[in-house]
Amino acid sequence: MIAYLTAIATLVGVRALVTLGLNVQWGMAGLVNLGAVAFFAVGAYTSALLAVGGTPLLFAWPAAVGLAAAAGAGLAMVALRLREDYLAIVTLGFGEVLRLFLLNEAWLTRGANGVTAIPRPLHAQFTGHYDVFYLVLVLATVAVVYLALERVRRSPFGRLLRAIREDEIVAAVAGKPVFRCKVQAFALGAGVAGIAGILFAHYLAYVEPNMFLPQESLFVWLALILGGSGNNRGALLGSVVLLGLLEGSRFAKDLIPFLTGVRLAAAQQILVGVVLVVLMIRRPEGLLPEKPGAS
Amino acid sequence: MPPIAQYVFNGVVTGGILALPAVAFSLLWRLLRFPNFAVSTYLTVGAYVALVLNHGVRASIEMAWLSALVVTGAVALGVDRIAFRPMRSRRPFSLAIASIGVAFILENVVRFVWGNDFRSYDVPVSRAMSVAGLRIGREQLLILGVAVGVMALAQAFLLRTRLGIAMRATADNALLAAAKGVPTERVIAAATLGGGALAGGAGVFLGLDASIDPLMGGGLIISVFAAAILGGIGSAPGALAGALIVGIVEEVGMLVVPPTYKTAIGFVIILAVLLVRPTGLAGART
Repeated sequence: MIAYLTAIATLVGVRALVTLGLNVQWGMAGLVNLGAVAFFAVGAYTSALLAVGGTPLLFAWPAAVGLAAAAGAGLAMVALRLREDYLAIVTLGFGEVLRLFLLNEAWLTRGANGVTAIPRPLHAQFTGHYDVFYLVLVLATVAVVYLALERVRRSPFGRLLRAIREDEIVAAVAGKPVFRCKVQAFALGAGVAGIAGILFAHYLAYVEPNMFLPQESLFVWLALILGGSGNNRGALLGSVVLLGLLEGSRFAKDLIPFLTGVRLAAAQQILVGVVLVVLMIRRPEGLLPEKPGAS
Repeated sequence: MPPIAQYVFNGVVTGGILALPAVAFSLLWRLLRFPNFAVSTYLTVGAYVALVLNHGVRASIEMAWLSALVVTGAVALGVDRIAFRPMRSRRPFSLAIASIGVAFILENVVRFVWGNDFRSYDVPVSRAMSVAGLRIGREQLLILGVAVGVMALAQAFLLRTRLGIAMRATADNALLAAAKGVPTERVIAAATLGGGALAGGAGVFLGLDASIDPLMGGGLIISVFAAAILGGIGSAPGALAGALIVGIVEEVGMLVVPPTYKTAIGFVIILAVLLVRPTGLAGART
């Protein structure tokens, strides 16, 4: 049971990081990103492949964060010129194309077999209670990222992002570099998702393309909207509640006999969809609404 | 005979199928001002409705197709009433996110009931004809013929009938149309019903041409989007032309890249169009 809870808490931490990343993009800057999972995947795969190839983690990790952020900046430079509804499909498509790339370019990514035997950091030093050590590592990362993003949110840059979110024409008229700020916010969010990807890959010691299905991006959205977009506490709370929802419904299997594996997964996803739609209609501001004028 | 002609023909058939949801998606986008991601999932709904009738009560595929039109239209209308109507005044992106949620629910209801297996309709097996070196299936001809007929009907409806004209007026300027006495909600209901029916019918075609599984429709969203953008949002003939181009490019593209990259081709088309015209092609001036 302890092992189970440790594993769940670790995965909540990883999800919370991706959600914090999306909160920078959507919550703070109002930028649509339906491909959040793509940057998570870039972080996971870059770090995994470099580490398996023998690169020390001290170099592999910054490289992975850097590449995720660069991918975010690149996509943003192309896509942010578009209208919001087009941006939705471009980011969604980017996530899907990246997954196809991971699946097909086996020379680089090892294709459907995935990357195995990813080294686990400091494994020798913490044998016996490695999972607890890793949980502490994840939670510490979440805490550091959270505090850093809170600083960003309160900074002039964060205030400017909110101004752009509310009305970018006004911000532009006031002489603010709107486009540059949007690209920076998108890259920052992608980098945070990349950090989550690194922690994910080295925790499982295995990654494969189907871990990064488009629906994962939807889960991130649900967590963010559930918690309340625009504030980092909401992003954290939403991740916890979402995982509670997903894991809690897993126990339904023991209660209802005819639920097969496929049915259970489908029922969980129906639940996710229903919660998302009801939230959008009834409470779009989430459980913890952003405080007006908070800076 | 070079194989490329075969790929082009298959692309035309794919494009014909794609045209139906593309027109629905395009018109609904123009009318309601948000990209409705659930439209491509209506294909799945239609395909399974027909499957139930075809396997369950041994209905002919023609009867099953007609029923799929009706039931999918009704499902689309129900979805609009429950999910989208309370959100009419919200920013488009909120509705887009809700529509993704709806797509997710529908897809998983199908998965819950029928599982992930690939299925096919019970139809008499017919041998493909060989015309000038091309392999042409009877179903393919039927699909193409009906798809073109349905598109012509849709276009005639938009241009000639009172309701169709009201629909175009509302799409153009909802406030002005409402001020002139066009009942906005009734127009939206009619478009949703019709759009759902078009997509549901296309789902049966897709099931005949390929196979039936819970992801069959949702997996097409990028191609549908590409066709709509290529044709100019809100234009029915445009969406038809866009769908044919997307269908042909996707099939012929298989000669160059592995088939698994099919979705990527639609994505590249979208990027190319949007980079040349960041607001989309003609008809997207909103």
